[in-house]
Amino acid sequence: MIKGKERIIPILALIVILISGSSTAYVYLSQIEKDTITINAEEYTIGQLFFMVDTKAIQTVEGEKTGISLEDLIQKIGISCPDCYEYTIKAKDGYEKTVSWDILSTGILTDNYRVFFPDTPKAFWVRDIIEIEVK
Amino acid sequence: MKNIKMFAGILLFGSLWGFSEVIIGSAINDIGLPSGVIMTGIFAIIFLVLSRIIYRQPGMQFGMGLIAGGLRLFNPFIGCHLCSAIAIMAEGAIFELIWYKISFDFSELKSVIMRSSIGIISAYFIYIGGYIVTQILTPIAAGANFYIENLIIFMPRILSSGLFAAIIGGVILPFVLMAKDIKITLKDKIYYPTTIGISILIWFIVVGNWLFI
Repeated sequence: MIKGKERIIPILALIVILISGSSTAYVYLSQIEKDTITINAEEYTIGQLFFMVDTKAIQTVEGEKTGISLEDLIQKIGISCPDCYEYTIKAKDGYEKTVSWDILSTGILTDNYRVFFPDTPKAFWVRDIIEIEVK
Repeated sequence: MKNIKMFAGILLFGSLWGFSEVIIGSAINDIGLPSGVIMTGIFAIIFLVLSRIIYRQPGMQFGMGLIAGGLRLFNPFIGCHLCSAIAIMAEGAIFELIWYKISFDFSELKSVIMRSSIGIISAYFIYIGGYIVTQILTPIAAGANFYIENLIIFMPRILSSGLFAAIIGGVILPFVLMAKDIKITLKDKIYYPTTIGISILIWFIVVGNWLFI
């Protein structure tokens, strides 16, 4: 039994290193670099978005954060019936979170491409955003 | 009596683990280093394996995860209390699963290769397991929906993120296992006041910080 473990455990460790190493290579090669944010299939610069929508401040567990209202943003880009959809916020490293309108409408987008919400865990505060998909 | 001794040990080691996550984890995070990887690869492995060596009882590390995660919920220093607390609780449970087939005399872990290999496996799966569990449970616990596609698309990143934890675990664990040859015996009249006293002090500091800062 011990002999079996002596063979299996080092092989498993090697597999772990191979999987994590190849995943690291994949992540590095597939990372998307862009300065614009795609919202509902349209490209916007952060400057354009801040020109279109007024800024507001919200209170989070990390203090006050200022940015443009996601509620106003979605309405300004012409989404009628915003509560009919869900919204997937995507980061350039592949991280994404899908939220309902109830959550999205409470949030802000900052000029460093990050969203904050007042009443959600930090896991929803997606950083380095490249897309907000409306679906 | 043995069970009471184990519960005191769970309380002590769980509190020490939670305290290190709260204090040292926050400091590491503040200087811009990957705190999750370092905390799992070094501190979680040290406390989990040391408690395994000292008490040699199954289920203890799961209990430690619950205590450490519970303490993390009161952490006043870093924003995401819930995600970290869930991750720590999951880490204790995953450690139990990985070490289920490892004997309590560690007879299969004699060579450095075996010790290092089990360190790599433990740290990697504890880290990515905690990461995955928190990605699933945090939205649910927060009252939002969990979307499996959000997790699937991020899986390469999660699998990649455990690489450094695995390497650190592979280096640390052979050193931690050296402690199995050290014999320290505490009499009950010293053991209980010490374990419970240290645990109460830790909780007092963390909860006190939460209440007054």
